[in-house]
Amino acid sequence: MDPQSLSNPNPNSLKTRFAQRFIRALMRIQNQQPKSSSPGEISKRHRKVNTAANAAMASAVGPRRVWSQALLWRIRNRSNRNQARHRRRRALFKRIGTNSMKRKGLKERRGTEEGQLVGFGKEKKLRKLVPGGAAMDICSLLDETAHYIRCLTTQVKVMKRIAEIYST
Amino acid sequence: MDMGEKDKFELDNKNEDAMNYSPGMSSDWRFDGSNLTNTSMGLVTAGNSMAVGKGDLIGSSACSSASMVDSFVPTLWDHPSNPQNLGFCDMNVQNNASTLNALGIRKGSPASLRTGIDRALDMCWNQSGPMLKGSMFLPNMPGMLPQSLSQLPTDSAFIERAARFSCFNGGNFSDMVNPFAIPESMSIYSRGGGMMQGVQDVLAGSGLKPVLSGVHSQKGELNVSEASKDASLTVEHGASEGSPSKNERSENLAKSHDEAKQCVGVSGNESDEAEFSNGVGRDQEEPSMLEGAGGEPSAQVHSSKKRKRNGQDSDLDQAQGASQQHGESTKDNTEQHQKGDQNPSTTDNKTTAKHGKQGSQGSDPPKEEYIHVRARRGQATNSHSLAERVRREKISERMKFLQDLVPGCSKVTGKAVMLDEIINYVQSLQRQVEFLSMKLATVNPRLDFNIEGILAKDMLQSRVGSSSSLAFSPDMPMPYPTLQPPQQGLLQAGLSGMGGSSDVLRRAISSQLMPLAGGYKEPSQLPNVWEDELNNVVQMSFGSRTPPNSQDVDGSMPTGQMKVEL
Repeated sequence: MDPQSLSNPNPNSLKTRFAQRFIRALMRIQNQQPKSSSPGEISKRHRKVNTAANAAMASAVGPRRVWSQALLWRIRNRSNRNQARHRRRRALFKRIGTNSMKRKGLKERRGTEEGQLVGFGKEKKLRKLVPGGAAMDICSLLDETAHYIRCLTTQVKVMKRIAEIYST
Repeated sequence: MDMGEKDKFELDNKNEDAMNYSPGMSSDWRFDGSNLTNTSMGLVTAGNSMAVGKGDLIGSSACSSASMVDSFVPTLWDHPSNPQNLGFCDMNVQNNASTLNALGIRKGSPASLRTGIDRALDMCWNQSGPMLKGSMFLPNMPGMLPQSLSQLPTDSAFIERAARFSCFNGGNFSDMVNPFAIPESMSIYSRGGGMMQGVQDVLAGSGLKPVLSGVHSQKGELNVSEASKDASLTVEHGASEGSPSKNERSENLAKSHDEAKQCVGVSGNESDEAEFSNGVGRDQEEPSMLEGAGGEPSAQVHSSKKRKRNGQDSDLDQAQGASQQHGESTKDNTEQHQKGDQNPSTTDNKTTAKHGKQGSQGSDPPKEEYIHVRARRGQATNSHSLAERVRREKISERMKFLQDLVPGCSKVTGKAVMLDEIINYVQSLQRQVEFLSMKLATVNPRLDFNIEGILAKDMLQSRVGSSSSLAFSPDMPMPYPTLQPPQQGLLQAGLSGMGGSSDVLRRAISSQLMPLAGGYKEPSQLPNVWEDELNNVVQMSFGSRTPPNSQDVDGSMPTGQMKVEL
């Protein structure tokens, strides 16, 4: 998290926790999927790995941060949505209902966003970048951004290391 | 009580000459205190591999410490309760951290000033003692230090010089101070001097100004009768310190929140880096606010009332200090508490300001909420603008904090540009994660390597930063200067992992050599994203002997391997 804990051999540091979770997820992904070099497979795997990295980071941070909560929620929702899509393919007639509901929800969210984002456009951009940033005031947004940046740097470091090891 | 006041007043007059020393004294000791806090920060930064001791950070820390030690003056209100003070060393620190308002009080009761400063010194030392070495400063004599203090020159140039000296050699400072007859505190000086940074001149600028200005304004606007009144008030509240009345409790809460803030800033050094810099950022806001707090009461009619409040503040601070002793452990709680309380305080400011303008000096206002933010002279005082100011200050605090996090952001001025930088950095980090996950998805790791890799990874991770230079010190000095700064971070991350044991080292080296041996032409063929990644690896393993032409891997390959095998 902070540079001190990065340099410390702390088993409970964010780095270690993230690495453990991420490696576990990575192994699961690799085990469950037959290796193939077709671009579709690779992009699918890429998405999975990315999601796994985000989820590992968020769960390593825990629920005490807004962005991690939002990230986890988004991932969970996305997977739910995927399942829902599969279900929708089976039951065609239900699609209209869910779709309209989804649109309505989206519109509502946009409305609240626009209500709160009175600031300049850069702030809006930042809100889009930081997960869960749409519903924060500017102070906590900056707080969350700071934490998010630190976690992202940790994530990048660990993933680089893993990639280095794996690419042999 | 009246007789006591009279006596006190006479004492005040007698001690006017002693009063003359007080600005110099306080400024001197401000330096000392700030030095000590700086040393504690130096302790923290020494542990870090990253250079946290940037100029701006230290500057801010200097500011914060200045504010902290500025505000030890309120402890002169504690002098009726000496034993308590001596008992709670930690508590005193929090007392130190209350506002600059007491600058006005300093004029009001010079007699207590001496003892107050003595006490403050004690606190200062005692507080910084546990940070530095534990029980170093505990046997300080309160009588000793001020005597030597009055002999110290009051100009800041001397202290600047001393500080600059001491950043080169710890012993120098003690030598410098020796002629000024502080034999007792010599060791402390040398202790603090050894780790002091050269940024003390920043402190000299920032630390001195608020206090002096505050003192001047107070001197200009106070007359002696008010001073005597203040003295009586202090006596009263000193007497009633055991049972603080309910209606001022909220103000005291505000004060103690201030202190909690500062306490967080100071004690955050020890445990958490994030907290530390957070606190520093917050503390940097403090001096301005406190300065405003110090200057304002002189301008307003209810200055004596406020002063009285200060007296009670310090009294209650003692009570609250006990609870704040474990406030260090529950920093977050106090911080949150403080955050939560900020909004009501701003709204309540209006009422206090109104009270002050009515000039209702004699009667205690029935329900005065605590004052957290005060307007400086010439600033708007209605609740909206106060709240807006608080918000702006909070934002700028966080911006400063973010500035330290985002590389290349420290030179940028202006929030919009800074936000741009932050956005770019976040985006680049997210893109990096994307890219790395793509890399991990494309890479087909052998399953038998998995476990080993994880183990190696854990091992490496446990060794990160600890023993990096041991194994590689003969070979590695070369590639470092050849790399660009952003790559250096990666290189260090990779390198520091290698230093553990020889087999780990071998494996890591071979792991970095293999992609090169397989396809070192990739940098020229692959897209840009791949290029810098692989370039890193190339430079890492081969740049040690041939930094200028690291692309020419053919020639350097044998040397690199030889070196590694050696």
